[in-house]
Amino acid sequence: MKVGDDSLSPQPIAYRLRWRPEGIIPGAHPGRGEGAEGEFRRHVDLLRHPDPRRIDLRVSLRDPHGQLHVRQFSPRRAVPVAALVDLSGSMRFGEAVAGRVAEFAALIALSAVRAGDSFALFGCDAHLRADAFLPFSRRRGLDDEVRRRLTGLRPQGAGSAGLIEAAGSLPGRRALVFLVSDFLMPEAEREALLDALWRHDVVPVVVSDATLEEGLPRWGFIEMGDLESGAARLVFMRPRLRARWRAAAAASRRALDEAFVRRGLRPFHLRDRLDTEALTRRLMEG
Amino acid sequence: MNAWYHEASVMTRSWGVDHPLVLALGLLALLPLFANVFIRNGIPAIAAFPPDPLSRVLGGGLRLVSALAILALVAGLAGLHRRAQTVLREGTGAHLVLLLDRSSSMDNSFADRAPSGDEQSKSSAAKHLLGEFVAGRPHDRIGVAAFSTSPMPVLPLTDHHDVVQAAIAAIDRPGLAFTDVGRGLALALSSFADDTAEASRAVLLVSDGAALIDRRVQDALRDAVTRTPVHLYWLFLRSRGAKSIFDVPPPGEDTPQANPERHLHLFLQSFGVPYRAFEATSPQAVAQAIAEINRQETRPLTYSERIPRHDVARPAFAVAALCIFLILLAKLAERPLRRTGFAREATRPPQAAPVIARDGQRRAA
Repeated sequence: MKVGDDSLSPQPIAYRLRWRPEGIIPGAHPGRGEGAEGEFRRHVDLLRHPDPRRIDLRVSLRDPHGQLHVRQFSPRRAVPVAALVDLSGSMRFGEAVAGRVAEFAALIALSAVRAGDSFALFGCDAHLRADAFLPFSRRRGLDDEVRRRLTGLRPQGAGSAGLIEAAGSLPGRRALVFLVSDFLMPEAEREALLDALWRHDVVPVVVSDATLEEGLPRWGFIEMGDLESGAARLVFMRPRLRARWRAAAAASRRALDEAFVRRGLRPFHLRDRLDTEALTRRLMEG
Repeated sequence: MNAWYHEASVMTRSWGVDHPLVLALGLLALLPLFANVFIRNGIPAIAAFPPDPLSRVLGGGLRLVSALAILALVAGLAGLHRRAQTVLREGTGAHLVLLLDRSSSMDNSFADRAPSGDEQSKSSAAKHLLGEFVAGRPHDRIGVAAFSTSPMPVLPLTDHHDVVQAAIAAIDRPGLAFTDVGRGLALALSSFADDTAEASRAVLLVSDGAALIDRRVQDALRDAVTRTPVHLYWLFLRSRGAKSIFDVPPPGEDTPQANPERHLHLFLQSFGVPYRAFEATSPQAVAQAIAEINRQETRPLTYSERIPRHDVARPAFAVAALCIFLILLAKLAERPLRRTGFAREATRPPQAAPVIARDGQRRAA
């Protein structure tokens, strides 16, 4: 492969926010407060905003009252972007972390860095994992670092208390948080985690695998082992039980979606593979 | 503890193994609790799926079958066997000596001539009926003796009825010359000499005639009967024209020389032990007489049964093979989880190559 040939390397995607970030670091998102440049917001009276450099002559001349109008802009601000990745044993299924999750996190890191935002990676199982932790930074090559970290590790351990721990170490101002998990934790734990993230703009990224619904045999023995607890169960699969299992899986998926809707969150489904177009659409919607 | 020890001692007295150390391998039967023959498919959350009682039952059954297979293999390898032993049993029956006449007249039919057409000789009628008689009395100890010119011990008292059947089957071989009932009876009585069991004893004399009994033999017989009280049955196969043993001949003709059968009857009656004589003039009459004896000799009897060593290794291996066959069936019925989602993911080219290249470039710069 030729050096510099980046046809295979992922392209950054743009994202919009539905809220105005605070902060002082200039970036790409229309922020709170009044600025002298950036995204046009409105016209105000010169007396209210005494900045004669921004007088909009055309609007002022059109005004029958002869007021002088000044253009006001939103300042462009950077926003902290964080990816909280669940690394409990259940995420091992289908090499999810090494595959699509790493791809997804790297893409988000690349997009954030290109947009001038800082990106941080928090990999957590029962605790925050040091080997999957990257503090906020906006240096170049962060996406490679993220990918290397995530492909190299083996998810293990049970529980997702580390995610709540990570939520506590996020910055005090509102940030864009991608919560990457299979959300198979108990409901109370999930609610506690979302409570801990109340301040931030959370995009739940639901990692799921169609294998568990499509790949079940019609007839025969199949031994299932829980990746987290290690509990094993021998199952004699037959069409009726298969239908019941698929119904149960669909029901739990629906219940999860409803739980997100109740909180006003719109999840992104990372099912089987990273669909970049769907992700772009979702992020451009804000 | 004591009861346990008692149970264990009973077990070891009746069961044994050839290689006791191999039994330690029986611990391997715990193995199915921890592992099975299936490939485990890791899934994220097993609790998300509803439990299934049928699967649980099948899983438990397979575990049990696996443990059983291992136990059966170990038992077979250790050479499990039931020890040879004698068992005392209660039944109804008797200790019985069949005293069979082998004189040549037994080869004739009841009409006292060589059998022709569908006629039966006396010996072959006796053979069939005695065979059935013995087969119907499985708990008897039976001895067989024969007599002709001199007595012939055939079988001591034994539990092995197939041998007895063989001995009875041999009585229609061509007979020998004469009839010496007295010494035959003495031989039959001597069969009981070392029989100490509290069983009913009987001698079944089957003959078609009699002869004069020597006075010394008569005394010896009286002694023997006094020592070992027995039931006497005489199945007299009377040929046509022979005198009945129950008819009283006119005075003057009633001598042992003229009427040996009648005088044997009187002699046996004089013993003072239970005695019955049956006069049979046809195979049907023989059958009736034998049925009557069968009815008489049903007293409670303690008999000992000798059970030879019985190897359980072969059935154990058969059980193991069956169990392994079941496990094999289950294994063949195993279906893997079809990987639909990330199979495509995995076949995509790794993305690490350009990353490294760019790193190298940066480092070089």
